[in-house]
Amino acid sequence: MTPEFPDGADLPPDELSRRELGELLGAAGAALSLAGCIHSPTETILPYAHHPGPITPGLPLFYATSMVLDGYATGLLVRSREGRPIKIEGNPEHPASLGAAGVFEQASILELYDSRRMRGLRRRDQPAGWNDLRRRFGVREGAPERADRGAGLAFLLEPTSSPLRRRLLERIALRFPESSVYAHAPTAGYGSRVAARAALGAALVPQHDFRDALRVLAVGSDFTASGPFHLRHARHFASTRRVSTPRDTMSRLYAVESVPTPTGSLADERLRARPSELALVLAAVAHELGAGSEALEAAADRLSPRQRELAAVAARDLDRHRGRGVVIAGEALDPAAHALAAWLNQRLDNVGSTVWYTEPALHLEGSPAQDLARLAREIDAGAVDTLVIAGGNPVYTAPSDVPFGELLERVEETICLAPYENETSTRCRWAIAAAHYLESWGDARAYDGTVSLVQPLIAPLCGGRTADELLAVFAGEESHDAHAMLRDLWLGGGDDGAGTRGERGGDRFWERALQAGLIEGTTLTRSAPVASLDAAVRLLEERLREREPPGLEIALRSDPTVHDGSFAGNRWLQELPDPVTKLTWGNAVLLSPRTASELAVGNGSMVEVETAGRAVRGPVFVLPGHADGALTLHLGHGRVAPFEPAAAFGFDAYALRPTAAPWVVPGATLRALAAGEMSARERRHHALASTQQHWRLEGRDLVLRQTLEELRARPDLAAAHRGPLPSFYGWEPDPSAAAHARDQWAMTIDLSVCTGCNACVIACQAENNIQVVGKEGVRKGREMHWIRIDRYLTGPPEEPVAVHQPMLCQHCERAPCEYVCPVFATTHSADGLNEMTYNRCVGTRFCSNNCPYKVRRFNWFDYSHGHDDTAALVWNPEVTVRERGVMEKCTYCVQRIRGAQIQARLEGDRPIADGEVVPACAQACPSRAIVFGSLTDPASEVSRSRQNPRLYSVLHELGTEPRTRYLVRLTHPHPELARPDARRPADAESTPR
Amino acid sequence: MSVAEAPVLHGRPGDLEVTDQVLAPLWAGSRAWAALLGLSAAGVGLLVVAITYTVVTGIGVWGNNIPVGWAYGIINFVWWIGLGHAGTFISAVLLLLEQSWRNSINRLAEAMTLFAVVNAGLYPLLHLGRPWFFYWLIPYPSTMELWPQFKSALPWDIAAISTYGLVSFLFWYLGLLPDLAAARDRAPDLRRARFYGVCALGWRGSSRDWSRLRVGYGLLAGLATPLVISVHSVVSFDFAITQVPGWHSTIFPPYFVVGAIFSGFALVLILVIPIRRVYRIENLITERHLDAMGKVLLVTGSIMLYAYVVETFVAWYSGNLYERFIFLVRRPFGPYASAYWAMWILNAFAPQLLWIRSVRRRPLPLFLLSVAILVGMWLERFVLIVTSLDRDFLPSSWDLYAPTWVDWSLLAGTLGLFSFLFLLFLRLVPIVPIYEIKRLRHELELGHAG
Repeated sequence: MTPEFPDGADLPPDELSRRELGELLGAAGAALSLAGCIHSPTETILPYAHHPGPITPGLPLFYATSMVLDGYATGLLVRSREGRPIKIEGNPEHPASLGAAGVFEQASILELYDSRRMRGLRRRDQPAGWNDLRRRFGVREGAPERADRGAGLAFLLEPTSSPLRRRLLERIALRFPESSVYAHAPTAGYGSRVAARAALGAALVPQHDFRDALRVLAVGSDFTASGPFHLRHARHFASTRRVSTPRDTMSRLYAVESVPTPTGSLADERLRARPSELALVLAAVAHELGAGSEALEAAADRLSPRQRELAAVAARDLDRHRGRGVVIAGEALDPAAHALAAWLNQRLDNVGSTVWYTEPALHLEGSPAQDLARLAREIDAGAVDTLVIAGGNPVYTAPSDVPFGELLERVEETICLAPYENETSTRCRWAIAAAHYLESWGDARAYDGTVSLVQPLIAPLCGGRTADELLAVFAGEESHDAHAMLRDLWLGGGDDGAGTRGERGGDRFWERALQAGLIEGTTLTRSAPVASLDAAVRLLEERLREREPPGLEIALRSDPTVHDGSFAGNRWLQELPDPVTKLTWGNAVLLSPRTASELAVGNGSMVEVETAGRAVRGPVFVLPGHADGALTLHLGHGRVAPFEPAAAFGFDAYALRPTAAPWVVPGATLRALAAGEMSARERRHHALASTQQHWRLEGRDLVLRQTLEELRARPDLAAAHRGPLPSFYGWEPDPSAAAHARDQWAMTIDLSVCTGCNACVIACQAENNIQVVGKEGVRKGREMHWIRIDRYLTGPPEEPVAVHQPMLCQHCERAPCEYVCPVFATTHSADGLNEMTYNRCVGTRFCSNNCPYKVRRFNWFDYSHGHDDTAALVWNPEVTVRERGVMEKCTYCVQRIRGAQIQARLEGDRPIADGEVVPACAQACPSRAIVFGSLTDPASEVSRSRQNPRLYSVLHELGTEPRTRYLVRLTHPHPELARPDARRPADAESTPR
Repeated sequence: MSVAEAPVLHGRPGDLEVTDQVLAPLWAGSRAWAALLGLSAAGVGLLVVAITYTVVTGIGVWGNNIPVGWAYGIINFVWWIGLGHAGTFISAVLLLLEQSWRNSINRLAEAMTLFAVVNAGLYPLLHLGRPWFFYWLIPYPSTMELWPQFKSALPWDIAAISTYGLVSFLFWYLGLLPDLAAARDRAPDLRRARFYGVCALGWRGSSRDWSRLRVGYGLLAGLATPLVISVHSVVSFDFAITQVPGWHSTIFPPYFVVGAIFSGFALVLILVIPIRRVYRIENLITERHLDAMGKVLLVTGSIMLYAYVVETFVAWYSGNLYERFIFLVRRPFGPYASAYWAMWILNAFAPQLLWIRSVRRRPLPLFLLSVAILVGMWLERFVLIVTSLDRDFLPSSWDLYAPTWVDWSLLAGTLGLFSFLFLLFLRLVPIVPIYEIKRLRHELELGHAG
């Protein structure tokens, strides 16, 4: 109906109406307050895209930067809206990213806007200024330098590869020749360095290329989901496992590990071994490959028949694929294992093709315990009067036999750089707020040496400083401006420390470097040293001579979600389910079902783990697939820092870490706590909060699995799980659908390459403003993740096969949720999306009840409120923040689809190209397991995936016709190896209820 | 002894005698009544607290989660609406079937129905995530030109329940008019005479009044009868139209209706047995009534038994993996197995005791049995709703459900509200239809009725 008069006809002409005035005032106010929010850095930085000019409100800009973790850089692209960074994505040009991003990188943005961050600088309890620090420690005219040439001055750093920091440390050494530098690296391995020096004759690190690796033996190595190059390795390894026709072939992965890992879940042959046995497996493989030595034989004899059999089969298989295999040992393994791996790669002709060696990218490597212990001895001897802790939280991450916190208080001047007030900063005289890397200038190398630039997207929100700026004070630099120092290093000539010259063509070079986020041609040179078997055998003999104390072995691991504890304050990461246990908000004592029954403990039992007189208390989590006789404890939990109650979940496993054995602690005992030994409060504190309670498939065909042989014999296995079903109402797709929309969106997920690494989960959380519900919320089954990774165990409980299945809204063409909604809040779009209209939802939860995939999430409380204004800055302005009482779920990132459509329409109504719309999950996925696109384009990747014989729908028999489909999980087991029947349901030991 | 031999009315009290006997509680309260009213008022207070807390804080204060999106809210809703079935069944269906024994208990049963429907109606509103938008489920010409989705069972619910509530109220009130007029005429003081006078809407007892009452009452009875069948059928569609294993079943409409009548009669017995004793109206509500209601319980209870058996059999016979898991594994052996077996014992097996005549006629066993049935029927809804949702298709999303104190408070609070309203009813309104008793007596004297 058209109104008789146009709007406003009853108002006086040409004057602002009351309403219009209000609108203008509101808009002006909003614009002003928006302008006030933008903290632009004063230096010029350049967008990655070809997008010159100022910020266009409403349009995102992408900048390249890098995040440094454990000293290694990962290149990132950061999406910025109206001057504030809102989403972190991978930099496709960066070797450590290839366009993907891991959980730590993606979740780090939450900490930028954390209002609990430390602000400015304080001396004792008093706020201080940066100049106070400079006056105290910098070069001052007329003031005498330290008389002791810096002998009492010590620096404690995190491991670093930064050329800038190298230069600053050199200058510090010039000013204070007697000063000492220590590096504490709580997550670093130590075995590979020792092994390299012994077996290769130089401190070299192995580099791996999985693109051509047809046979991979990974021992204690989670190379697809942790480590500085895991994103790259996952991408390359996945590329050897994409089978689209039965004629294709795929690689074979042998994984030997003590605790199940994402990489182990991909294994074609998985073997359990206690942490101390891992090196022995490598020894057995070496023995099979003709390395004659009594020690090797003795080592092999210590293995079980199954372990020996696998070692033999793997050895033959690797030998048949000489030059096209990789043997990789985990960082935490002992030197013998690394030396053997080096020899094996050489014996198998892999060196030079899939494996090579370089100088380490880190110029300051550090160690998980030893360096700190050395520093502690110096402090104890009274040799340190000034200690500069430029990052890290050594009081928390110190090994248990180093009372670093007490020692700190004996140092006269302690200066600590920390993002939050933490265990270390509260004990230091000077505490300096650390700048977030999105507020910093800096550089670092990737694992292969590529120099990566850290450039800020926003001026420091809390007045933070970088480690380089702090060191510059001690180096006596005139300028403490990190940007100037960086430009000076890379443009002003001088040696960057790795033999590459900085002078490369001035501003043009610098612009290009900033745009790309890296400096090309800075990878470290390859070398192919000869690995000595004798050295490996000597290291092994040393190992074999060690007496193994009776008791359980403890494997300590850095946590897959909070790392060494530095992310413990990050609510996204705390609520991110562990990829294996699905535990959130805390850790647990992981052990195998057999060990659990021997010790008479079960899931959730409270226990005390004791070794060498030190004990921790926590809950048990029984993990099928874990090695018997061993416990795994994740570091990084149970922090007691006063600022962060959330971080106090779980127990602190550092309390069990001795300096001598930072990763594998032998001789532990475990004791179940009696009812009275733990208070009810402590029990609640430690209660397990898992997002998945049930691990078996119950004989349901949800995750279809085939071996490559089976696929070749029966390529049509999946056919029964797709295609038309008998129906009263006909099965023809709506012929008019294509007429309504140019594109029909769809997704295909390849289960063969999904490691369950969680990158997609965090990507979705950041992109779609997904709220955190806390430990109690998770315990009640109310987590909000739109995409979750279901993990199922098949096969017998002692040797289970773990499979991962990312589960998100399936965008059913015949959606069960839609017809039960009484108010049309969930409906279907013309281009095939199952849409949710939050404003219309009244919250009956009928849709969730009727969703067979249970992917809908409900706002039980007002989760989005109660955040302060700063925390709200992290929210993506393109996605509605949901209020309480409404349902939500995956939208296929509809905001990105609509954005691309608008762009295409502006550009002459052109069609949207394949790959132009990528949902956050697919974008972040390191192994490219998720493919998204339009089905109307027959050439699109998703259309081609629909021709794959492995294509199937989950719960096909319900007739929901999901748009999200899966590719059968394919494995490539060795035909000669006897194995427990994976098809046998794992329900033998108990009936599920 | 055949049914006809047991009297529906003891003695032949005179008209005035009946009037005074029934009206007596209206004029004089008792301490016990006041104490009970205070107790139920406390329950109402608890209800107000729980509702306020829920609406202000969010539905998260309940125990619900994903996958168990519906729990106590819907269990209680179905339970109360089921209880609200007996009244209309007794009043309308038995009226049309000319069962004269219904006359002494129909007012009680109708009042019970009305109050049960009030309680039932609370839950669907409260269990919304955003209860302030409940009216979006109602078809009205909104400015957004958006109607409810009629494919969903929830707008059907709204229509069915509001119709049922309205018709039940009209039916009850229409039948109340002559008695309100009697109270007006017998009121000891002007204040109460005026009160009942207003309530009686000018009833004069003329032949025209009586004839219109008969016609209107008959028409409403005709209208209410299909509603008895439809309301719980519609409620059952909330479950049957879904594809949740354990819900997706064609047996649901009759099964729900019978279950509703079953529990409704149990509640009538729970109310009638103490009332007839306290108010000394055993002569008006006799063993014959108890016996008849016991037989209704026996018949409906046996149908429940049949339904349970058939439901389980069909789950097995279907060969459907998910249905089989729910019916053959999850419910009988899962963590809520005690609720499941209690449901069988209380609903299906215990009523079989009613084959024994002495159980049917003696108030105490009948009372205890009725309590058991009410508990059993509540558990049936618990089993139906919770043990279907918590174990559906993907084992990864399976989770348990545990109620919170708010869930329990809402249940206790609605029991309080029900008692509160019922106690007021006992005090303010003649609980037995006086004119129906008089007519019955006349008919008995003339030998028209058994």
